[in-house]
This record gives sequence, structure tokens and C-alpha cells, in this order.
Amino acid sequence: MHDIDDLERRGIPGVMVASEPFAGAAITQARALGLEVARVITPHPIQDRTDEEMQAIADSTVEAIVAALTIS
Amino acid sequence: MNEATRTETMLLDPTSEAVPSSQALSPRKDSLKGLTVGLLDISKPRGDVFLDRLGDHLVRQGVTVARFSKPTFTKPAPFDLRQEIATTCDAVIEALAD
Amino acid sequence: MRDEAEAMFQRGWTDGLPVVPPTKARVLAMLEGTTRQPEEVIALTPPNLAECTVEKVAINAVLAGCRPEYLPVVLAAVEAVCTDDFNMHGIIATTMGVGPVLVVNGPIAQRIGMNSGINALGQGNRANLTIGRALQLVIRNVGGGRPGEVDRATHGSPAKLSFCFAEDEAGSPWTTLAEDRGFDPGTDVITVFCGEAPRIVVDQTSRSADSLVRSLAEGLRSAVSSRVVVGMDAMLVVSPEHAARFRDAGWDRTRFMNELSTHLMVEADSILAGTDCIEEGLPEDFAGLTLPKFRPGGLLVVHAGGPAGLFSAIVGGWLNGPMGSEPTSWEIKQ
Repeated sequence: MHDIDDLERRGIPGVMVASEPFAGAAITQARALGLEVARVITPHPIQDRTDEEMQAIADSTVEAIVAALTIS
Repeated sequence: MNEATRTETMLLDPTSEAVPSSQALSPRKDSLKGLTVGLLDISKPRGDVFLDRLGDHLVRQGVTVARFSKPTFTKPAPFDLRQEIATTCDAVIEALAD
Repeated sequence: MRDEAEAMFQRGWTDGLPVVPPTKARVLAMLEGTTRQPEEVIALTPPNLAECTVEKVAINAVLAGCRPEYLPVVLAAVEAVCTDDFNMHGIIATTMGVGPVLVVNGPIAQRIGMNSGINALGQGNRANLTIGRALQLVIRNVGGGRPGEVDRATHGSPAKLSFCFAEDEAGSPWTTLAEDRGFDPGTDVITVFCGEAPRIVVDQTSRSADSLVRSLAEGLRSAVSSRVVVGMDAMLVVSPEHAARFRDAGWDRTRFMNELSTHLMVEADSILAGTDCIEEGLPEDFAGLTLPKFRPGGLLVVHAGGPAGLFSAIVGGWLNGPMGSEPTSWEIKQ
């Protein structure tokens, strides 16, 4: 979250992709940093997924990720 | 010293008392087509597979993709890495925190 | 009239236990415990990287129940954990139930009444308990690291309330942890290690040093998971009765560490993914290799505990090195 905060402050639009249980952490951290952060949430868990499952998650989130960086 | 609690005795504030400087989102892009988008891998397992696929989608949309990875997901990215992203990319996607 | 203790709970200043109200008088008395100026910034406290002054540490030390003479130890602990090497930011955020484990060496431990003997890792000693607690309250209140927010620990651990003890130097057959880490004898030093709660390793039978060292190694091989090697450190707290076996055999610290290392080599084939029908494990590329359970320097050995009991204690670690946390030793200054 410090990374996106730093880049946003330099004018680079950013989006953080996090799995569902970590969305809360991202929100509190962003609030503490005084930042509104664009987030896209994926299902959880992640670490035990197969390649195919990870690709399916990417397929289903790409639209939201692009939307977070553009005027929609 | 911030006298935080009004009771019989004044208590001193144990918190940082920092009021975050509010920052709105930086301007969004009209479209990502023709732009360079940085994919910042936080280096947790499986995130690379996600970013590979995401990169494929973006390339098909006419985006130039630049890949970066943090040395470790447990720490903020080093200054030089953030500097490199800031000077070479138009937007950034950080993934995948889980 | 509002109740002070309740008001402090409501403000979110506590770790779940009652705290001592930080009145001006108490904070000023606390600041008498150091020669450092109240406004000196000693660290940027994660996760918010908030500036932490000597005064803020003193206020949290009051909350925790410290006496003024403990303050230099708390200040050193805050400085030690707020380093890039120790990586307190990652330790707060991780889902693993780990936190800073503090070991104090040097004459200050006795002077302020720390416990290195009976129940050293447990309850009952004000200095041990409140120093560790003060550090955690600084992280919570100054840094903003709170459970359920940036702190994502799956289970957490009772050790995250406070885990702080002194090494029993006088009764040890060995050089101290601080000396092992490069400090001169007699220096006041705090060592911070990222660890879980302690667990016991029982060996009530071994009479020889050779048998006991093998037994302790077997216990250590299961630290965190038998299938994790090299990537995570551990601390071994050797009890006086166990240490006596090594004293009797004439093993100094170096000999003990060397013998222990030889019994901490693991055949990768026994922990490959899929062996014994367990999917967790090393990738196939490690087949045929023999690997150390701990990286060089990845096992910290401390002498502490009561005079009776043929047990030692193991504290499992977290990701080590630049990827995670590096054990860090810091001189305690008045």
C-alpha cells in the first residue's frame, strides 16, 4: 500500500489487487496514509491454486482493473 | 502534548497524533491503449501466473506492459524501484496481496 | 464521571488488558529513566511509518506498567525493531502468528529485576512483562499496527502481548547470546527475534551430551514444519539442567553449535512434496540433496530457566534474511 501511495502522489494512477481477506488491511492502511486507493478484490485463497485457476481469476478481473485506471 | 481525555486528571496521548494529509486519486486515463502500464509483482506465490495472464490481456488491448517485482512482499518496494516505475510507466497495477 | 480505565479502552489505546493512565506526572517520572531528550525522534514506526519520539515511548511505557528504569530497554527495543533488517512492517502484516521476542543481556537485566530463572518466559515478573508490552503498545498506538486492520495474523499468539526475558548469564556454561552476536562482555544489549510462542522439547532421560544434542536437534527439525528448511530461523532456550549435560562434557558454545548443526542436516528426499502422501514439501529439483534445517546463524541459543526441569524451549521463527526478518541486536543506552 505504501507503494501505490507513493506512486499516486507522483501522479501515476495505480490499482492494488488483493484477495478478499486482505481488502480490509488495504483499506485501513490507505486510510492511515490519507489516501483513497483503487482496489480490485479477487477470491481467496490464492497460494494453493493451479495455473488454470489463477488464469481464470485474471480473466474475470481484468475488466475491473482496467476500469480502476481509466475514466469510466 | 495533546491532552486527550478530559477526566479528573489529564492523560497524555500515546498515539502518533498524525492527521494524514488527504490525497485524492491521481487523474485516471481516458484509455490505456498506447500507454505503458507497470505490473508490480509483490512476490507472493502464484501472483506471477496471475500477472502473466493479465499482461496478455493488456497487450491485446494495445498496452505496453512493463514487469517489475518487489524483492519481498513483506516490505515496501525499494525507493529505486518506485522511482523506475514512476519515470517509465503511465499507470501501475500491484498484485497479488493475499 | 467517566471511568479512566474504560475511557482508555474506548480510545483503543490498549491491547485488551487494562492500562495505567498516562498522566503528566507519570510520564515525566518515566522520562527520568533516560538521559535522552523527550522530543528526540528515535524511529519511524510501522506500519504507518509515524515518527516516534522518546516521549511517545515514555507514554506507552506508562500505559504498559513500566518503571522508569525500564525505559532505556524499551527505547532500544523500539529502535531495534524499527530497522529495515528486522522488518517490523512485515511482521505486523503477516498471517503467521509471530511477533518480536526480546532477549536482554548485560548487567541491566539484574539491575532492573528481570527474570532469567524460574518461569522466565511466563508471567509474574513486572520488568519482563511490561517491557515487551510497552513495545507492542508503541507499535499499536504510534505505528497504527492493530489486529484485524494491518495485522492479519490467522491465530496470533499470546506471545504477541509480551515476550521478553533475560539470559541467565551467571549460570550458563557458555558465552552469552550478546557475545555470540559480537558485543563485548558486560555490555547491555537487547536482541530482537521474530518468533512464535515457545514450546517445550522434553528430554528427561539423556545422560550424555551426545544423546541430548541429538534429541534437541530432533525437536528443532519440526520447528514451524518439518517440511520447512533454511528459510526460517529459530531460537533454542536451553534450561540449566540441560546445559549442565554440556558443561559436564566440556562442550563450549562453539562445540555445542557444531554438534547441533551436524544433527540438523535433513535429507531432502524425506520432505519432498508428495512424500508420505503430504502435498506440502520441497520441489522435485531438491531431490538427492542434504540441506541444513537452519541457515548459518539462523539458530539463536540462549540459556534461561529454573534450576529444575529437563526441558528446553523452542521458539520457531518466520521468513528470514532480506525476504523477511533478520535477528537484530542493539546496545541499550541510558
